Amino acid sequence: MEELAVKMQGITKIFNQVKANDCVDFSLRKGSIHGLLGENGAGKTTLMNVLYGLYQQEAGDIFIHGAKAEVDSPLKAISLGIGMVHQHFMLARPLTVVENVMLGRKSRRGILLDTKETARELQTLSDKYGMGVDPYSKIWQLSVGEQQRVEILTALYMGADILLLDEPTAVLTPQETNLFFDTLRQMRDDGKSIVLITHKLEEIIAIVDEVTVLRDGKMIGTLNMDESVTKDQLTRMMVGRDVLFNFKENTRAPGAVRYCLKNLCARNAKGVAALKNFSLDIREGEIVGLAGVDGNGQSELCEVLTGLRPLDAGEITLDDEKMANRPPAYFISHGVCHIPEDRHTTGLAMNWDLELNLILKCFYKAPFAKHGLLCKKAIEEYWEKTRAAYQIKANCGGDTARSLSGGNQQKVILAREIESEPKVLIANQPTRGLDVGAAEYVRQKLLNTRGNGAALLVVSADLEELLQLSDRIAVIYGGELMGILERGADPYQIGELMMGKKQEVSVCEA
Amino acid sequence: MKLDLQKTGNKAAGAVAMVAAALLVGAVLVMISGNNPLEAYSTLLSGAFSSKQRVSELFVKLVPVMIMGLGISVAYRAQLWNIGAEGQFIIGSIAATAVGLYVKLPPVLLAPLTLLAAIAAAGGWALLAGFLKVRFHANEVITTLMLNYIADYFLDFLVYGPMMDPAGQLPQSAMVPEGIQIKAIFSGLRVHYGLAIMVVVFILTVLLWRSTLGYRINLIGQGERVSTYAGVNVKRTILLTMFISGAVAGVAGWIETFGLQYRIMENMAGSYGNIATVVALLGALHPCGIAVASFFFSILLVGGASMQRMTNVPYSIVDVIQGLIIIFVIAGIVGQGRKTVKRAGRIGKDA
Amino acid sequence: MLEKIFTTGFFVSLLASTIRLATPIMVPALGQIYTQRAGILNLGVEGTMLMGAVTGFAVACLTGSLWLGLLCGMLTGMLWSAIMAWLSITMKANQVIAGLGMNILGAGLAAYIYRVIFGVQSLPPAITAFQSISVPGLSDIPILGAVFFQHNALVYLGFLLLPLNWFILEKTTFGLKIKAVGEHPRAADSKGVSVAGVRYAAVLIGGLYAGAAGAFMTIAYLNTFTEAVIGGRGYIAVAVVIFARFLPVRAMWGALLFGFASALQMRLQALGVAIANQLMLMLPYIMTIIALVFASNKAEFPSAYTIPYSRMER
Repeated sequence: MEELAVKMQGITKIFNQVKANDCVDFSLRKGSIHGLLGENGAGKTTLMNVLYGLYQQEAGDIFIHGAKAEVDSPLKAISLGIGMVHQHFMLARPLTVVENVMLGRKSRRGILLDTKETARELQTLSDKYGMGVDPYSKIWQLSVGEQQRVEILTALYMGADILLLDEPTAVLTPQETNLFFDTLRQMRDDGKSIVLITHKLEEIIAIVDEVTVLRDGKMIGTLNMDESVTKDQLTRMMVGRDVLFNFKENTRAPGAVRYCLKNLCARNAKGVAALKNFSLDIREGEIVGLAGVDGNGQSELCEVLTGLRPLDAGEITLDDEKMANRPPAYFISHGVCHIPEDRHTTGLAMNWDLELNLILKCFYKAPFAKHGLLCKKAIEEYWEKTRAAYQIKANCGGDTARSLSGGNQQKVILAREIESEPKVLIANQPTRGLDVGAAEYVRQKLLNTRGNGAALLVVSADLEELLQLSDRIAVIYGGELMGILERGADPYQIGELMMGKKQEVSVCEA
Repeated sequence: MKLDLQKTGNKAAGAVAMVAAALLVGAVLVMISGNNPLEAYSTLLSGAFSSKQRVSELFVKLVPVMIMGLGISVAYRAQLWNIGAEGQFIIGSIAATAVGLYVKLPPVLLAPLTLLAAIAAAGGWALLAGFLKVRFHANEVITTLMLNYIADYFLDFLVYGPMMDPAGQLPQSAMVPEGIQIKAIFSGLRVHYGLAIMVVVFILTVLLWRSTLGYRINLIGQGERVSTYAGVNVKRTILLTMFISGAVAGVAGWIETFGLQYRIMENMAGSYGNIATVVALLGALHPCGIAVASFFFSILLVGGASMQRMTNVPYSIVDVIQGLIIIFVIAGIVGQGRKTVKRAGRIGKDA
Repeated sequence: MLEKIFTTGFFVSLLASTIRLATPIMVPALGQIYTQRAGILNLGVEGTMLMGAVTGFAVACLTGSLWLGLLCGMLTGMLWSAIMAWLSITMKANQVIAGLGMNILGAGLAAYIYRVIFGVQSLPPAITAFQSISVPGLSDIPILGAVFFQHNALVYLGFLLLPLNWFILEKTTFGLKIKAVGEHPRAADSKGVSVAGVRYAAVLIGGLYAGAAGAFMTIAYLNTFTEAVIGGRGYIAVAVVIFARFLPVRAMWGALLFGFASALQMRLQALGVAIANQLMLMLPYIMTIIALVFASNKAEFPSAYTIPYSRMER
C-alpha cells in the first residue's frame, strides 16, 4: 500500500449555480506523476485551484499525506508543501526573479527583504536541477520556457513536494516538451508528487503513471497507465463518444491567389521587430493554417492583415487592391474579415447589447441606418434571424455579450464575420477556450466559408486542429516564415520548424 | 420593449433610492449641527415653490444645469471623463461676450455669431484636452481640471483687466447690446427664452443617441480595441466627442450670459460644473434621466439658498448631498453590474 | 525693475518659498506613490486634503495644540480615504468618478464642518501657526542657510518622508507587496498576499499623507481655513506622481518645480512686477498640463492600474 500524497473526496465547487466540480474524487500517490485529463471546461483547473486554496469547495474533504486539511488560502497550501504552476504565469514582469520568489514567503529579516540570502539559495537550487535561472534577471527579459522554469523553481524553493502543473506544455514545442518531461521524471525520482493537467492524450501516454479523467465537472474514472490503456479508451472517457472530428477533404481545388503578402515587416507593441520579411499567398477556397509557438508573431501578422497594426515594410495585395497601411475600415469594406484572438477586448463589446455587437461593422449601412439614424426595427429583426440561424443561446438582443457563454460569444462573432460574405477571413485561435461542441461548430463554419470561395488564414496553438483543417500549413518562428507544408505533413517535422529549424528546401513561393 | 420599460423602471427606482439615502445622511448632518432636519428640508422645498419668482428661479437654474449635464453625458458615454464643463462654460461665455461687445454688426447677424463663437471656443477648449489625450496620452481628467483653473483665472484676468466695465469698479464686463440679449418670457420674472434652447439641446441629444455618430461614441466607450476592430477611427471620434461635449457647455455659458447677466463676471460658473457631473451620473447618462435629475438639483439650489437664510443650516449641505449622491450612485451601479456577472454563470477557469 | 529681481535677497526668498510651497505637493504625492503603485488612482486627494485642513485647523484652534491638530488632520485623511478604498477596492467602482465624488463631498463637508464649528464671523478665526526653526549651525551658512534651514518643523518632516518612502518601497516586504499587487494582483494572490489588504493599506497611507499636507496648509503655511485653501494642490499631487513615473525622488523634483512656479508668481507679485496676477496664478496649472504631456507617453503605468481585482474573474 503506497502512501497517498493527496486525497480529495467528494469535491463540489459551484460558480454561479453551475457545478464546475461535481462530487469529484481524486488521489495522488506519493512519488508519481498523475495526469488530469479533460476537455476545456471540464473542471480540471478548478479542482486544482481548490486544492491550492484559491477557491473554497462547497462540499468535500481534502487530505494531505493522510491528514485532513482545510486549505483556505494559497498560503496554507504552500505551508502544506503544495506548489502550483499556473497556465498563465504568476510572475510580475517588472520585478526580478528573486523578488517574485520573496513575495510568497516570510522574510528572515522581519519587515526587511532578505534579497541576498534568497538569491543565493535560489542559485543553488537552480544549479541542482540544471535550470540555469539567474535570480537577478527581470521577468520580462526571460523567454516563456525560462519563465516556466522560474515558476517551478519557485514552487520547489517554497518547499513543495506536491507540484500542480496546469497545461505546462501549451507554450512549448514538442522538442522542449521532451526536455521538460525529463525534468519531471527527475523530480519524481526525487520523491516529488506531480499533477499534470492536460488535454493532450500523447502527453498522458508519454509520461504519466496514473490518469484521472474529468468531463463536465464530473470524475469519469482513474486508470493506471499500463500498456492496456489505449488512446481511444481515453478519448471516449474524455469526450463521452467515439469519434472525434472527421472533416471531408477539400473537394474543390483552391483557385487563384486572393491575398498576397510580400516581405511584411512590423513591430510589436514594445517596438521590437515581430515580423521579418514574411511572405505568403492565400488562394481562394483555401485554408492556410499558421502553426507556431505562442508569441512568435502570429498575433502581429493577423493585426497587420486586418489593418490593426501598421506595417513597416512590405506589400499586402487583395486581388488587385493595395492594402498595406490602410485603416481597418478599408479592410472591412473590402471584405477582409477577422475573428480576433481576444473575444473579450477585441471581438465583442462585452457590456453592450448583443444586437449592437452583431452590426459592429455595418451599423452605418442600410438597412440598419437611414439618413444617419439607426433603424431599431431592422437591427432587431436581423438579430432574431441570425440567432435562429446560428443557434445562439440568448434571451434577447438587449442582453449584454458578457451574459453569454464563451461558445455563444464566439458564435456571435462568427455570424457577424461570416454573414458579411468575406473574401478573406483571418481567424486567430478561433476555438480557444471553447468546449468540444462549440469548437466543432466553429470548425465546420470555417470549412463552409472555404467552400464559399473565401481565402482563410487560421492561427491555432492546437496542431491537431490545424492538421484537420488546413490545405497547407505555414510555420512561423520569431516572426519569420520557416516553411510551408502540404496537407498530411508529419507533426514532428512541424515541431522542428516551430523551434526555428528552417526547412531545407523552402517551399515559400511568391 | 416590455423588458426595456422594466429596466428603465428599475433604474429610476434605484436613482430615487440613492437620492433618498443621500438626503437621509444629509439629515443626520443637519441634526448634528443642532437643527431640525425636517424643518430644514421643508424650508428647502417650500423655498423652491413658494412664489412665482421662486418657480421662475427654478427654471433659471434648470437651463444651465440640464444643458451642461447633457453635454457632459456625451463625453461620459465614450468613457471620456471630461470634468472641465466649468471651464468650457466660462470660455464659451467669454468668447460670446467678446464678440457681442467688440464686433459691430446688426443684431440679426451678431446674435448667431455670438452663439457660434461660444460653441467654437468652448468646443475648442475641450478639444485641447482631447488632443492632448490622443496625441500624448495625457489623462483627460487632470487636463480638463487644470483647464478649469486656467479658464477661471483667465476670466478673472479679463474682468479685472482688459474687459472690465469702463463705467464701473466691479469685476465684470460691460453689458452686451440689448438687441442680442435673450429676452425674458414674462415681464418681471427672470426666466428667459433660453428655456426653449434647452429643449432644443435635449431633443438633439436624444437624436444623437439614435444616430450612427451616437453609435460610434457609445462604442469607443466600450473599449479602444473593439472600436478600432470595428473600423471606427478612435482618435477622430474622441476629438469629435470632446468637441461636442465642450460646445454644449459653451452653449450653456452663452445662454447664462446673454439671458441672465448680460455680461461676464467673476465666479460666474458657480458650481455648475460639479452639478453637471452629478446630474449626468444620477440620470444614468440618459437624456430623460438627466432632465429629471437636473430638475431635482434645481430645487436643491433654489431651496438651499432660502434654507440657509431661514434656518441655521449652511448652504454647503447641498454640496454634501451632491457628493453623497455620486458615491451612492457609483456604489449602486457596481451592485447592479455584479448581478449581471452573476447571471452570466461562467464556469471555472479551464480556458 | 530688473535690478530688483537680480539680487541675492530675491533669489534666497524665492528658493526658500519654493521649498515651503513644494512641501504640500510633495507630501501627498509621496503618499499617492504608494496608492498608485498598488494600482489605485485616487483622484480624491483634493477632498482628503480639505478634510485634513479643516480638522487640523479646528483641533489646533480648539485645543491650542498644533501637533494635536496635525495628528487629527492625518487621522481624518486616513479615515476619509478609507471610503475611497471601500469604493474602489471592495465595491470595484470606477475610480475616476469615485475620486470626483469624494472631492465634491469633501469640499462640501469641510465647508459644512467649518461653518458648524465656527459659525459666521466677520473676522475669520486664526491661530498661531508653526514657526520657522533655524537649524543651529547650518542656518548660518550664507545663502544656503536661509534657503534650506530656516523652515517650520513640518517642512523638515516632509522632506524626511522622502528617504523613508524610498526605503519602504525598495527594501521592505511591504513595498514589494505594493508593487506586486499593482503589477500582477493574481500572482500576488496566488502567493498568499492579500491583494485587498495591501491595496487598502496603500490607499490609507496615501490618505494619511494627504491629511498631513492638508493640515500643513492651515496650521503651518497659513494660519486660517478658507474653502479655497487647497486650491487644486491635490490634483497637482496626482499629476506629479504620473509626471514622476511613480518614483519618490522624481516626485520631489516635480513638487519643487510646482513650488517654484507658485513662488515665482508670489515673489514677482510682491515686487509689483506688471504681469497680471491672474496670469501668474495660472502657471502651476499650465505646468501640470505640460508635465503630463511630457510624462504620459513614457510613464510605465503599473499593469493593474485602475483595474479592480476579483479572484473569480479574469
